[in-house]
Amino acid sequence: MATSLSDSVTGNSSNPAESLIRLENVDKIFQMGEVAVQAMRDVSLDIYRGELLAMVGPSGSGKSTILNIVGGLDNATNGKVWFGEQLLSDFSARELTRYRRDTVGFVFQFYNLVPTLSARENVMVSTEISDEPMDVLEALRMVDLEDRADHFPSQMSGGEQQRVAIARALAKNPELLLCDEPTGALDFATGKRVLRLLVDLKNHLGKTIVMITHNSALAQAADRVIRLRSGQVVEVKTNDQPVPPEDIIW
Amino acid sequence: MSVLDKKLGREFWSSKWLLLAISLIITLGVGCYVGMATVYRSLQTAKTDYYSTSRMADFSIELKKSPLAEIEEIGRLPGVAAIRPRISFYTTVDLPDAVQPINGLVLSLPERRSATVNDIFLRRGSYFTDRRENEVIVNEAFAKRHKLSPGQWIHLVLNDSRQELFIVGTAISSEFVYLLSPGGIVPDPEHFGVFYLKQSYAQDVFDFDGAANQVLGVYSPGTTVSRQATLDEAERMLESYGVISTTPLVDQASNRYLSQEIDGLASFAVVMPIIFLGVAAVVLNVLLTRLAEQQRTIIGTLKALGFFDYQIFLHFLKFGLAVGVGGGLAGCLVGYYIAAGMTIMYRMFYSFPRLDNAFYNDIQASGLAISVVCGIIGSLHGTRLVLKLKPAEAMRAKPPGGGGAILLERIGWLWRRLNTGWRMVARNVIRNRMRTAAGIFAAAMGAALLSSGFMMLQGSLYLVDFQFKWVMRSDIDLTLKNERSEAALLEVKSLPGVKLAEPMLSVPGTFKNGSHRKKGAIVGLSRGAKLTVPRDLEARPIPVRGCGLTMSRKMAEILDVKRGDFVTFRTSKGLQRDHEVQVLEIAESYMGTAVYADFDYLNRLVGEHGAINQVQLLVDSDPQTQEALFGELKRLPSVQAVNCRSDMVKSIEDTLIASMIGFIGTLIIFSGTIFFGSILNSALIGLAERQREVATLRVLGYGPWQIGNLLFRESMIVTVIGTFVGMPIGYGLTVLMAISYDSELFRFPVVSTSLTWIFTAVLAILFCTMAQLFVQRTILNMDWLDALQSKE
Ligand SMILES: Nc1ncnc2c1ncn2[C@@H]1O[C@H](COP(=O)(O)OP(=O)(O)OP(=O)(O)O)[C@@H](O)[C@H]1O
Ligand SMILES: [Mg+2]
Repeated sequence: MATSLSDSVTGNSSNPAESLIRLENVDKIFQMGEVAVQAMRDVSLDIYRGELLAMVGPSGSGKSTILNIVGGLDNATNGKVWFGEQLLSDFSARELTRYRRDTVGFVFQFYNLVPTLSARENVMVSTEISDEPMDVLEALRMVDLEDRADHFPSQMSGGEQQRVAIARALAKNPELLLCDEPTGALDFATGKRVLRLLVDLKNHLGKTIVMITHNSALAQAADRVIRLRSGQVVEVKTNDQPVPPEDIIW
Repeated sequence: MSVLDKKLGREFWSSKWLLLAISLIITLGVGCYVGMATVYRSLQTAKTDYYSTSRMADFSIELKKSPLAEIEEIGRLPGVAAIRPRISFYTTVDLPDAVQPINGLVLSLPERRSATVNDIFLRRGSYFTDRRENEVIVNEAFAKRHKLSPGQWIHLVLNDSRQELFIVGTAISSEFVYLLSPGGIVPDPEHFGVFYLKQSYAQDVFDFDGAANQVLGVYSPGTTVSRQATLDEAERMLESYGVISTTPLVDQASNRYLSQEIDGLASFAVVMPIIFLGVAAVVLNVLLTRLAEQQRTIIGTLKALGFFDYQIFLHFLKFGLAVGVGGGLAGCLVGYYIAAGMTIMYRMFYSFPRLDNAFYNDIQASGLAISVVCGIIGSLHGTRLVLKLKPAEAMRAKPPGGGGAILLERIGWLWRRLNTGWRMVARNVIRNRMRTAAGIFAAAMGAALLSSGFMMLQGSLYLVDFQFKWVMRSDIDLTLKNERSEAALLEVKSLPGVKLAEPMLSVPGTFKNGSHRKKGAIVGLSRGAKLTVPRDLEARPIPVRGCGLTMSRKMAEILDVKRGDFVTFRTSKGLQRDHEVQVLEIAESYMGTAVYADFDYLNRLVGEHGAINQVQLLVDSDPQTQEALFGELKRLPSVQAVNCRSDMVKSIEDTLIASMIGFIGTLIIFSGTIFFGSILNSALIGLAERQREVATLRVLGYGPWQIGNLLFRESMIVTVIGTFVGMPIGYGLTVLMAISYDSELFRFPVVSTSLTWIFTAVLAILFCTMAQLFVQRTILNMDWLDALQSKE
């Protein structure tokens, strides 16, 4: 069931959600010499605590850019980004690092594992800098890779590497999990399993999850879906009844 | 241990050869520093200790003959702490088994042991006893070489009569740490010794009752009186007794050689590490820049995960740090052994009471510190590069830099002439500007080291040839007792085996030009003399003629005179008259401060006619004839000393050649490491960077040797350019060294022949080829299918 943009901005009254991240009129312009690329144009949106938010849109529509700004990897050119009561867009580099370290778990579009470290060690990279990390094997168990703990990225398939990347993000026990196309490189079945994992994380551990996908079918599992085009939010849709990943067909 | 350290460890392992090569360069740099600084300090300490315990004289004054009472006055001069009058004569040693006459220096010494100026240091036996007058203490090296021990008898010719002396002991002395015979440049214990006699015995035998012909003195510590003023005053006081020379400690021969060696060590301890560590830092910089670029996404990821910048910075810094620490530790160890080796070598030439290698904590620590600093400096650039990136940026692929046409491509006619292979090579060399620059720098340093090493070798050989074969050409030099007439020359000419005999007159005196003064001598050469031939810069003979002087360049510099200028010459023997003489020619000289004049002109100048006090001989080389000649010479009453120059030259050459082998070996290892390390570095990095390209070429049907050939051409271009850049640098280094070694004793000729440059180039190419073999091995072992499938 689709709602209009204005509905979404006023909030969902039946579910008085608390905003974890709020973007207000955010622009992002990449200056490359003479050329300026506007990757985000006046974007305003909320990410609610404990929701699974899907971001969809064609390639180049600015999905990764938004995620980077939300995750504190990049600064907005204009506009405000709130993290709870704090103004994220005013954070110093050091404060941003702290924010990334303590609050955010990032799953990258291209996994970005350290090739010279085993799965276990890749996960340890993030537990080592975390205050209350998960057990490393526990994190690997959650992505069903406990028995591959000592394998190196080059010895694993793309899907397995993606799951290691998820375990690495999870193991820090972050409040906010940002996943850039977590299923992009995965086949149907594996994709569903990853999706199930995300849904469970939300349901059982109360994590806030933002997931980028250009597959609209997968977005059915999300609580809300944001559609982007050319750096602009063109649609915000609330799923009253998210479809369990197992039931999705595409 | 952090997982990041594990990552580091594995990356280390995968580039172990490169790191080894870089570490090796650092090791040699630190080794040179630690080794030379250690020897420097050992020598310096040994020298200072030795000089102070033996009360090394701060000056000496050589006289004809002066009453002791007059000499004692010198001791009362302000600023003078102690003096010792001494009798000093050159002598001939008559050893039963020696065919040739052996020369020696006889010095008087107090009868009883006391804390005297220039005290000796006993090695074997004892000091003088009361048992006999004719006791002698022999210098250790001579005693060892001729197997002389305390308790034996030895014969010296003292004041024309053969004396039998009882050896009580052997000793060394601080004034003869580096013991040279007159005119020699390397110690020659075979042909020259020092003999200490009791003061009273020396007075008797030389008819020097209550007199001496040398004064040794030490200054009061911390005196404010000017040393030059004291010396001038002393000289003035003794003037009427014929001052032959005044020698402050800085000009004392042994001290001069020793100090020069120590100073040389100090500058090598600075220059060598700078070259090596500079190259290491540059090569490391290339490696780390590449590593940081390669790990761009990993860096971005670590940032995204919440690592602080400093943590990532430190992570990469550890790379350089580990190389610095590893190379540094090895360098400290190598340095210790370099010092050990050099200490052994120095012990052969310099005699100290003891000279031991030592482990100086502070030198070792500073060696390690500079290598760590080098490692850090080498990593800084590459590491800093990644910090500037924002995490989001770092994770994106690097925008392809410099993909455009290279300058060369715009030179159409040239570019069209290159085939595809050469085009690839040219593009790579020009696009990887930093790596190419680093490679050129390293090759330049290696070539500079090689060429300056070769030039120093050639310089030494040239010096010996010039000085001992071209300027001085006699086999035997005779010193006569006082001035003789031509009759003495005729007498010598008639001896067996004498092919040529030329007279010489040497007149000691002081040269003056304005405020410049210098003691020396004018040597009169007969017209057309063949056995002493002054030469110019190009080694062309300068005929000595007319009414004036042919002055060595060094003397001219000291006196600040040019061709055509006049100087004042005051003879120190006989009538001390001032003569105004003109400098007609400047002769090149690499040793000493000789001044020549026409034999007849000089005789007229000093009011003599046909006076001779030296004769130079060219003799038959047949041993039997020589034996007969030496027998005759011993019997000639007019001959005071016989100096076998040909033997001395031979021993100089032997020493030179022996040290040359070690020198060349070291040179090749040192410069080879630089070339090898740097070439290996850039070739292996280039290979790693272009794995996919290489794999693609393999798919297209290129063989591993063809691919190696492409890389080889790149290395060769860099090596050849670097070598050309390095050659003038090497020349410059040699000139600097020659300037720093320039003294009255020595001037180092800067000699380069085409051989210098050919050897340098050939070795550079050889090193490059050797490194390539190593690279080729990597290409052969490369799993190119894997490279093709892996994504970057
Ligand atoms: N660092 C950058 N410099 C220049 N342009 C950039 C940069 N990052 C992103 N862009 C541009 O901003 C726009 C949005 O990029 P973004 O990566 O957010 O797209 P996306 O929606 O994630 O695409 P995809 O689905 O392909 O991952 C694109 O046009 C991209 O070229
Ligand atoms: Mg994207």
